[in-house]
Amino acid sequence: MIISAWETYFPTLIRWSAVGAGVILLMIGLYYLLRFFKVKHEIANGYALILPWILGLLIWNLYPFARSLYLSFTQYNMFQPPEWIGLDNYVRMFTKDPYFWPSFRLTLFYAALNVPLGLVGSILVALLLNRPIKGIGIWRTIYYLPAVLPAAAVALLWRWMFSPTSGLINFTLQPVYKLLNIEPLAWFTDPDLLMPAFVIMGMWGVFGANTVILLAGLKNIPKELYEVADLDGASGWSKLIYVTLPMLSPTIFYNLVTGIIGSLQIFTQAFFIPIPRASGTFLNVKIYQEAFSFGNFGYASALAWFLLVVILLLTLLVFRSSALWVYYEGEKRS
Amino acid sequence: MSSISLSAKAVPEKAQFGMRARRTLADIITYILLALFSLFVLIPFFYMFSTSLKPESQLFIWPIRWIPEPILWENYVRAFQELNRIAPGLNFWRILGNTLFITILAMVAELIAVSLVAFGFARFRFPGRDVLFILMLSTMMLPGIITLIPIFVIWRNLGLIDTYDPLVTGIWLGGGAWAVFLLRQFLLSIPKEIEEAAIIDGANTFQIYYKIMLPLVKPALLALGVLIFQGNWNNFMGPLIYLNTPVKFPMVVALKFFQESLSKEAPKWHYMMAMSTVMAAPILVLFFTAQRYFIEGLTIGAVKG
Repeated sequence: MIISAWETYFPTLIRWSAVGAGVILLMIGLYYLLRFFKVKHEIANGYALILPWILGLLIWNLYPFARSLYLSFTQYNMFQPPEWIGLDNYVRMFTKDPYFWPSFRLTLFYAALNVPLGLVGSILVALLLNRPIKGIGIWRTIYYLPAVLPAAAVALLWRWMFSPTSGLINFTLQPVYKLLNIEPLAWFTDPDLLMPAFVIMGMWGVFGANTVILLAGLKNIPKELYEVADLDGASGWSKLIYVTLPMLSPTIFYNLVTGIIGSLQIFTQAFFIPIPRASGTFLNVKIYQEAFSFGNFGYASALAWFLLVVILLLTLLVFRSSALWVYYEGEKRS
Repeated sequence: MSSISLSAKAVPEKAQFGMRARRTLADIITYILLALFSLFVLIPFFYMFSTSLKPESQLFIWPIRWIPEPILWENYVRAFQELNRIAPGLNFWRILGNTLFITILAMVAELIAVSLVAFGFARFRFPGRDVLFILMLSTMMLPGIITLIPIFVIWRNLGLIDTYDPLVTGIWLGGGAWAVFLLRQFLLSIPKEIEEAAIIDGANTFQIYYKIMLPLVKPALLALGVLIFQGNWNNFMGPLIYLNTPVKFPMVVALKFFQESLSKEAPKWHYMMAMSTVMAAPILVLFFTAQRYFIEGLTIGAVKG
């Protein structure tokens, strides 16, 4: 039986409008409630306006956050109430699940390659674009293109590019294979080659967005700094090392943090590209599978908490290191 | 200044010529590198489009026919017919309707919620404001996967699995922290006097928000709008988890469904590339028409923050 479009859209449309109106009414209600208790106009306004976010914080962040920590210590399949099993999920993760360590290694390794390579590449391109060249708008548009593409389309496209029998990459490499007398490489289905294939795909995707951000950072560097450097007779190289990179470091830092967080959470591309079972799966996909394919919601929550701790530790490390290499203009002056 | 022009004059003809030559050489290398990088970006795009127009027999031949002979525009029609065969009722218009329904409702809810919250954070003083704002920024670090399962349970208990509500209705509560942050930056830059003048004229809070703040931050709203549209159009995990009935799928989940069914038979790459192109086309059109806003939205967090 085919459900008509109207039957699918209409109920949601009604609930969507009702919730929207409800939130607005709650905001107005909160304002008058606060005014009734003689709270100042400005304060009442402030609280009323941020009410949607407060509700979101409680319902979509704090409650689920605490709940998933609790669930990670339980066995839970959504049909029976969660059953407390202590640390069993974590014990299973670290000692019993044969696919956990390969999956963790895969995810970490991917981030460790993708983030620095992508960053160095986009810094280089941003520096090139920052030279006095013609048609900067066109170059910027071209480089930014992959970043707007849906990750699903990117994944399918690169699966096809890397197709062992007929993809563009193997077609192009045919002379090399003939010369070395080897079989065409299998890329995504070869345990040793899936990492380079994923990194190439990842770089193609993030390249443009990072470049555009870095370029904006470069354009923000005051021209006077270069003029002073010129007067001092600084070479192009020392201007790069002593002016450009320090001034750009906050932007690099931003890209590094968002890059690490993003790479560790790769999902859609990994979902569309099957890889050999023994190589593991990217952690986000593994969590999805444990939860929604196998119904192990407790174990999936434990895995999610592990991923959170890894992300927090790495981010903390980067933040700690930032004192050594990130230069903020406001700080040094004081 | 005079010392510089003097020294420039003092440089002998030959050295000056050498400098200019070096300059030109550097320019040439720059253009060559930029062109190489853009080939790396553009070739896959062209390969996708070219594959989508090929007859099946030309998919696997070498050398590659970049411009297929004949050009089969009907691949696009066939790809959707094929999908309709796998999932009855899921035709092109239905998928487009589903995708637009989700994308537009989510975008409208988020823009309204986010602009109100950002207005509150930017223009009013109240106890605990800064602590709450930092709390909001720290929620950005929280991986979505952590809260996914409990939120799924909430929607399940409400009986709203396999509806669009989890994708569009929940957005009224809160909106993205990143979007609030971005909009707040813009609202902070509006001079206080404008607001004070309006208050003297007897404007209430809603009028200040609607008649003064929103028009002044219109570029930022547009930037947010395109980025939110893009995010929802491309969002895969949400629809994947919450929707079960194929006719309700948006384009990105239909793509997965299509891929899985086709992989069981011989991979029909020309159809898959046609579907990918259809999925990408609206975003590319949006990007070309609203490029300024994309770039503004992207860079503001990094540079202004």
